[in-house]
Amino acid sequence: MECVVQGIIEAQHVEALDVLLQGLCEGQREAVKTHEICLKSTVASELHLLCDLSKRPHIWTVKHIGGAMRGTGAEQLPALVRNIVESKMSNNALRFFYAVGYKMDYELLRDGFAYRFQRAFPITVTVTSVCRLPKQHSIDEATPVTPNIQLVEVTAPATADNFSDVVPAISSFAEHLSPLVNLSKPGSFAGIVSTASTAAASLLSRSDRLEHRV
Amino acid sequence: MGSQSVCLDSRVLHWQPSAGAQVTSQTLVDLFRSIESMNGVRTGRWQITAAQHRPFTRDQAMAIDCAKELLGVAFSEFASKHYFVLRAERMVVEADSSIQAIMEKLQVYRNRLSMVFEGFQYQLGDFQLKAGRAVLSQAENLRGIVLEVEYSPVSSIEKTRQMMQEFVDLWQEAISAQSMSGRISLLEPNFAEYALSDTYTWQHTALQYIFLFAYFLSQSQRA
Repeated sequence: MECVVQGIIEAQHVEALDVLLQGLCEGQREAVKTHEICLKSTVASELHLLCDLSKRPHIWTVKHIGGAMRGTGAEQLPALVRNIVESKMSNNALRFFYAVGYKMDYELLRDGFAYRFQRAFPITVTVTSVCRLPKQHSIDEATPVTPNIQLVEVTAPATADNFSDVVPAISSFAEHLSPLVNLSKPGSFAGIVSTASTAAASLLSRSDRLEHRV
Repeated sequence: MGSQSVCLDSRVLHWQPSAGAQVTSQTLVDLFRSIESMNGVRTGRWQITAAQHRPFTRDQAMAIDCAKELLGVAFSEFASKHYFVLRAERMVVEADSSIQAIMEKLQVYRNRLSMVFEGFQYQLGDFQLKAGRAVLSQAENLRGIVLEVEYSPVSSIEKTRQMMQEFVDLWQEAISAQSMSGRISLLEPNFAEYALSDTYTWQHTALQYIFLFAYFLSQSQRA
């Protein structure tokens, strides 16, 4: 299971978000460069095959994203809770799924960075530009779908026993980012923060002053 | 693929009875004795499970073009991983064991039958030996006897080939001294056909067990 909130941020404010996340995180900034292939079958549920291009050798992971939690209680949660099963695989994963009846529906490249936070629960913040590939698997020719907008995702693993604690943790964390990005359940975007420019300017100027002192 | 349990260069063999002879539980006991006669020290038990899956039967409108057979292997000594082999496609796939939960959700394939390989393992110098029985799960009929020789210092198949053969020859001599009616036999897959390199990995072992699984299924055995 995982809990998820998402939001969008203007590209011009990503640097400020990076500064904010650095301030919150004791860990390292990680590069994100993921080739994502959505696979579909006429008789089975879809799969997402991800190739982490930021590491050598590349790491392949298959992800089965199950249905979101339903019901009145679930609707009132500020984060999406959904079943998810992942498995790392050898680099012939795509050929394997073609052989068992899957076909590629679409593919994209996610390019950006991530921070991992270890609070009460592990939380990952990913900031990426979603890019289209003009030809099949043409990673080097990828171009952003929306050049001026990037996607911010905050996720945390959860179980049936602890999701009711993970959701408020993720929601509380999202508040830290609210000067720059509105985070909400996927599918119900709250739009861009209108005062993000002011917040960004303030963050960057504070960061510059700190750097000069050092 | 992340952290790996240590994989030794390994040859998976089986007991080939002489014409007219049968493979019985006593054969396995005698093979254990042959290892002990070479001063092999018993170090524990082992278990490997191989499974055959077929596509779910669907009506014509819902049929999909997919591999007609999916074979899977799991090792008790490396339980975090699972292996799939598609023989027609000449493919060996390694995945985290959670792949089984994913495949279960997809409902593209159903398990048709499983075979369990289990027995004792021994240490003999730089060699680790496994000897055990092969039985279909939910049954007790002995389908065959599996023997595995693992060599630790080197993981290049070509470099260890001769050394492994010499060891097997020695083992065969110890067996002959017990007047057992049969011999150690090797079914060696063509690793290169499956795009497996000369450096030995768990994928090589998985492929050997799948070949043995298919071989035992094709033979008729009586306990």
